[in-house]
Amino acid sequence: MEEPTEKKRIGVYICHCGGNISDYVDVGQLREMMESEENVVISKDVMFACADSNQKQMVKDIQEMKLDGIVVASCSPKLHLHTFRNVASRAGLNPYNYVQVNVREQCSWAHSDQPEQASYKAAGLIRAGIHRVVYSEALENIRISTQKSVLIIGAGVAGMKSALDLAHMGDEVYLIEKEPQPGGLVAGKGKVFPTGEKGSELVERLLAEIKKSGKIKLFTSASIEKISGSIGNFRSTIKTGDENPETLTLTTGAIMVATGAEPYTPAENEYGYHTVPGVITLTEFDELLKSCSAELKYAGKPVKSVSFIYCTGMRQSQGEHKYCSRICCTAAIHSSLVMHEKFGDVRAFHFYRDIRTYGKQEILFEKSSKSGDIYFMFQEKDPPVIEQGKNNIRIRVKDLLTRKTDLEIESDLVVLVTGMVPRRDSETVAQKLKIPVGNDRFFNEIHPKLRPVETVIDGVFLGGSCQGPRNISESVQSSSSAAAKIHAIIRKDTLELEPIVARINEEECTWCEKCAKVCEYDAIFQIETNGKIVASVNEAVCKGCGACTPVCPTNAINIALYTDEGIEGMIDGFIQQVQLKAAAKGEKAEEETAPSVEMKDFPQIWKSIMEEVREKPQTIPAIAAALSQPMELVTYHVMTMNRYFILEPAGIDDNDEYYLYKLKNKA
Amino acid sequence: MSKIDPSFAEEIKKYGAEDFKACFNCGNCTAICQLSEKDASFPRMMVRYGMLGLKNEILKSKEPWLCYSCGDCSETCPRQADPGHYMAALRKYIIARQEPSGITRLLFTSNPFAIVFTLLLAVALGFFLFTLKPGLPVSRWLFTWMPFSVIHDLGMIIFIFTGFMIVSGIFNMTRNLKKGPETSSKKKISAWKAFQCVISEMATMKRYQNCDTEEDSFWKGKPFCLKPWFVHWSIMWGFIGLLFATILDFLFKDPSTSIWWPSRVLGTLTGILLVYGTSLALYYRIVRITKTYSETRLADWTFLGFLWIAGITGFWLELAVTFSAANNLNLVVFTIHTIISMELVLLFAFSKFAHAVYRPLALYYYFHSNESGN
Repeated sequence: MEEPTEKKRIGVYICHCGGNISDYVDVGQLREMMESEENVVISKDVMFACADSNQKQMVKDIQEMKLDGIVVASCSPKLHLHTFRNVASRAGLNPYNYVQVNVREQCSWAHSDQPEQASYKAAGLIRAGIHRVVYSEALENIRISTQKSVLIIGAGVAGMKSALDLAHMGDEVYLIEKEPQPGGLVAGKGKVFPTGEKGSELVERLLAEIKKSGKIKLFTSASIEKISGSIGNFRSTIKTGDENPETLTLTTGAIMVATGAEPYTPAENEYGYHTVPGVITLTEFDELLKSCSAELKYAGKPVKSVSFIYCTGMRQSQGEHKYCSRICCTAAIHSSLVMHEKFGDVRAFHFYRDIRTYGKQEILFEKSSKSGDIYFMFQEKDPPVIEQGKNNIRIRVKDLLTRKTDLEIESDLVVLVTGMVPRRDSETVAQKLKIPVGNDRFFNEIHPKLRPVETVIDGVFLGGSCQGPRNISESVQSSSSAAAKIHAIIRKDTLELEPIVARINEEECTWCEKCAKVCEYDAIFQIETNGKIVASVNEAVCKGCGACTPVCPTNAINIALYTDEGIEGMIDGFIQQVQLKAAAKGEKAEEETAPSVEMKDFPQIWKSIMEEVREKPQTIPAIAAALSQPMELVTYHVMTMNRYFILEPAGIDDNDEYYLYKLKNKA
Repeated sequence: MSKIDPSFAEEIKKYGAEDFKACFNCGNCTAICQLSEKDASFPRMMVRYGMLGLKNEILKSKEPWLCYSCGDCSETCPRQADPGHYMAALRKYIIARQEPSGITRLLFTSNPFAIVFTLLLAVALGFFLFTLKPGLPVSRWLFTWMPFSVIHDLGMIIFIFTGFMIVSGIFNMTRNLKKGPETSSKKKISAWKAFQCVISEMATMKRYQNCDTEEDSFWKGKPFCLKPWFVHWSIMWGFIGLLFATILDFLFKDPSTSIWWPSRVLGTLTGILLVYGTSLALYYRIVRITKTYSETRLADWTFLGFLWIAGITGFWLELAVTFSAANNLNLVVFTIHTIISMELVLLFAFSKFAHAVYRPLALYYYFHSNESGN
């Protein structure tokens, strides 16, 4: 990293955002003001800074005028930070020598009622931006070397399948399993939907392939002692074997967590569990289906009717498990169908709160009803009551489908359809890997939709039901996707990380350990240089959160891009006196005739839109047609007027297609 | 606390409801039904009773009789559970359950029994007819081993038995309907008003006309005279008219007099209605014009077929009488006409025909307990 030098040739661009900013902030005056700022060589105001034409002009400016720093005062960096970083790159300027100032969300939109004050604030923010860019450094991405190997924790179907995926792509895989046998929950299953294959067969097939692959090392009866390191180079200490424990250390580029879940165990006497004979869980029932051959018998007695109680322990409004376990409806119905197929005339009664046989599984539900299974619906507040009858079990339920009639059903067996809950040992795994755990105690991904298999810890991925209840195919989908993600990272010898990390000034550092203690990511450790013990930062692990900087007594830590000089410079810039000409009304009107025609049109089109919706609410296409204006333009203005509380939505049109808008009532 | 009876589904299946177990209680059928109301909600509730086997609830219900089988529900059903035909099967089940001898149950659920029973009855009625003309050789042969008095008494017994079954059916039906759930609306209308409502419904089929009014209905835009409600109306009034004409004929005149005699005119006009209605209904069932008409059971065929034959032979005889053409063919036709008509009357309590009493009865209790009756 180069020693920062102050930037002397800075370009400032102030965006009108098509009126979004310039209607309130005096963009023209600000541009003039910034021209005379120290180190600023060019200051411009532009209609849309993000427009292609302006980006090209910026590239040209940077190259022709040899700019060494740029500031764009426009919208939130969330929107266009990367746009302008790319502009800098294209012009040959380091992207970190670019600073974005937010004068839309923070000025014009926030203070539309006080436009003059908005201009003052904008001036301060832009100056702060200029001062910040003066101290900006040219940063390069951090490159670290990676191991081409993966540690997979948990050899259920999810772990086994992703191990195979990675092995096929040429990666070395260490697959560790806590139990003496691999296969997890699936190993114990009978026929599974939709293939009809047995769970045990599925596991055997995977195991055979694993043995054949030659790139997967499977450790059973194994546990994790310790995990250290970071993406590219994790070091895990593993203990294997029960009788002659052996400890070994594995170095891998990434870790996949596929520790799975476990079935919920009903509480004592929950629906008569363990107190009424013949009340069993779905897992126990599946075992019974497997073990009985000619006739379905429980405790030596033939079973002629079975009642399934759904959502046992799940979807509790007042309990620990608030979520829907989503696989159990299908599992129960599937078991019921397997029962019909194997033992013929056994009646099945289903007591449910909602049936959630999503996707193709709906076919099973239909098949079950058609085969004569009877469904009863209950509410959480009125659960079925299970009692010991004379010869069988008596179930009483207020059936929602029959006007809450009290019904009595006799049944030889009651099966509690239990959902999936996090494994009891999941907390330990989470602590060792520092992956966050949700309220439901399942492991959390970064983003459920967009980054569903990644964790906040770089290089640690999730697969299968450790993330939440999943069926076999969903488990394999997620772990296979994690395998692909992992391979994409470790296939290259090196990987690049954002350079925003903590940096230690070794001369100032006295190794008081305060920084290491506050670091949530364990990124700070001690090293010895030149006979002195100082702190050092693992750049692959550091997130640049800044927790270490304020605790350092000697001020020896700085975060790249957020240096003390930079921040202090920003404050200096912000508190400078701002002199704005009071915009006399006549004067402003004159100014408005300036560069663009559209500028002048804005108030007019707003008035037209307001006229259109005054009588009755209109949709955007209707307004566009009435005003003979392009729909995009009308959409933009209606949205802006909506944001400004001039218009408000008034329901949806008859085709359920477009929202209607009306004038907002100023009550 | 009601006990469920899952075996009931198998029983109702024998009456023609094949698919109703597929129901998952979404209620689309009730939502689409033009006749279903807050206090008379069907078909879903009826399907639910059937699934659970709550037989008493079914027998107590007026709802099966409020349905005219337009088939909208079956069209709408997402599970193809065919609630329309289920309602028709329920009506047959109820008819069978109200009749105490058990003959109806056999007639509805066993086709071989129904065929043999109907044929035997026809033969017996044939013999009975011959006894009215003692001059015929067949009659003389008959009397050699069965005296006239025995035949006469047997006939009386059969008529008394039939009459008793009709009366007890009506009695049972009334008792069951009275046990039905009290409606939520407090304002009951008077018995007289309810009776008027029933008559008005029979005269106009106003409720039936509400059926099949969906935008995409097959019958939408078709002339009224082709619509199911009108077909039903013409069969019903055709039959009632003929019944009156026959009684008047019987009381006041010799059947062989002028065709312009008032009771004859009534008979001709209503006969046309009957033949028109039954012909169309049979045609609709033969070509399966809509889903509703696509499933016809033996009990439906015999009931409609008998009405149609009775009508056609009736006209034949009217023409024969008008042109005074007495020959053997006309005698055979007369025999057929009489046998079929007698079967219709004798089997009243044991066939679909019983709905002619049960439906008005159920409507009466529906209107009586329902302020929206008028």
